[in-house]
Amino acid sequence: MKAIVTYLIGTLLSLQLFSDEYAVVTNNSVESVTLGQIKALFLKKTGYLGNRAIVPVNLSSRNPIRVSFEKRVLHMSFNRLKSYWTKQHYLGHRPPISMKSQASVNAFIQKVDGSIGYMRLEKVANGMKIVYRWSD
Amino acid sequence: MLKSLVVILFIVMSLLAQEYEEEKSYEIGEGFQVGELPLYIGGYFSLDYRFKDSQSRYRIDDLAFLAYGSYEKLSYMAEFEYKEFYTLSETDNEYTSEQDTTLHIERLYADYTFNENFMFRAGKYNSPVGFWNLLPINVLRDTTSSPISTEMIFPKFTTGIYASYTTYHEGEFKIDAILQHNDDFDEAYNNYVIDEHYAIGITYSLNEMDFKINVGTFDNYMPENTTRLLHYFLASFKYETEDYQVMSELGTQKSNGSFTTKYAGYLQGAYYLNEQNTAILRLESYDDNFSDVEDDIAIIGYTYRPLYPVAIKAEYQFHSLKKENQFLFSFSVLF
Repeated sequence: MKAIVTYLIGTLLSLQLFSDEYAVVTNNSVESVTLGQIKALFLKKTGYLGNRAIVPVNLSSRNPIRVSFEKRVLHMSFNRLKSYWTKQHYLGHRPPISMKSQASVNAFIQKVDGSIGYMRLEKVANGMKIVYRWSD
Repeated sequence: MLKSLVVILFIVMSLLAQEYEEEKSYEIGEGFQVGELPLYIGGYFSLDYRFKDSQSRYRIDDLAFLAYGSYEKLSYMAEFEYKEFYTLSETDNEYTSEQDTTLHIERLYADYTFNENFMFRAGKYNSPVGFWNLLPINVLRDTTSSPISTEMIFPKFTTGIYASYTTYHEGEFKIDAILQHNDDFDEAYNNYVIDEHYAIGITYSLNEMDFKINVGTFDNYMPENTTRLLHYFLASFKYETEDYQVMSELGTQKSNGSFTTKYAGYLQGAYYLNEQNTAILRLESYDDNFSDVEDDIAIIGYTYRPLYPVAIKAEYQFHSLKKENQFLFSFSVLF
């Protein structure tokens, strides 16, 4: 009985830990990406990795995974990003496209060469490349 | 005639864009896309009030329209602006008004991005010198006024070519090269009348910190058809967190081996009290040999933004030249 309870608690804990892990993913057409390049792509400072055009894909603005991505990876809050994109409008740059669900991001990345997005680790499909991981 | 056509075109585009506004849930400060074209339009305006030396001045200062977009490796930006569109001054209950309906070319350029690192631009653009000059419009500034040093050291606009090289690793490293060897697209809309401008800049950014240095030279037209060659140096620093920002620029300018501006600089701190409210303190100082003026300035300001692209600002400037003391208030919007 004790062994079963320990097993169940362990399983629940590992599920909990796993569900709070996230990944930045690309399709296989993209080579390795550094953290600095991920930031530059999602802030639209560049649209390229080497010579390859890259399409960054966001989740919708209040999605908790996006909030975590912006906080842990971009190191920017919602308000700071709001002011950032207002300034970028004056400079002629648009924010990345947004998608409503991880499933849409998943489908987009598998379909479009040079795309990059983020999702929960357990949602990463076969054939995708994980280029960065983070957790809450 | 051409400028009138441009204005009409903007109005038509705005109407077209309105149709798409509901579908694409337009938000203020983001501009709107015209149909499915690689064309976004927007603009900004500012109203301001100044009380200085017993005189009140009310202005519709900036009224500008933006159009930009990108297609594959090409992108473009066009910005046309009415500057000091309407000014009403009052002294001892006597009112005078002025109107300037000249539509200026503020920016007009095309970019070509070669790859992750290289970018090339041709046209008229904000000189990428320092940090302030990249976002110089009222609504995006923390204060109604700009530091005097940003008007004094270098030409705010360049008409020519520009190239940059950037690397994105742990930190971000960027080299800018500026080259002008022709007349300005709109020489009335620049702080110096120039036909030559050559400069380089190096920027290094790491986490919340940015450092930048610029060195340049430009040929300035003077009265009586003479010119003078001016050389400048500017060092800039910025540190920004979620709670506050500290920014500083310090420059100098020389001609024929002697200082035209010995130094001009500022140190500004902006404290974000919350999402809407910011308190600002700026200290400025300059010693300009050309105009034979030196001044030390302390500015306290407060900005309220009900939404980020809408700014209501007040500031008071204390000058060592006391007759320059002034109060400024402005309302500005980016749309």
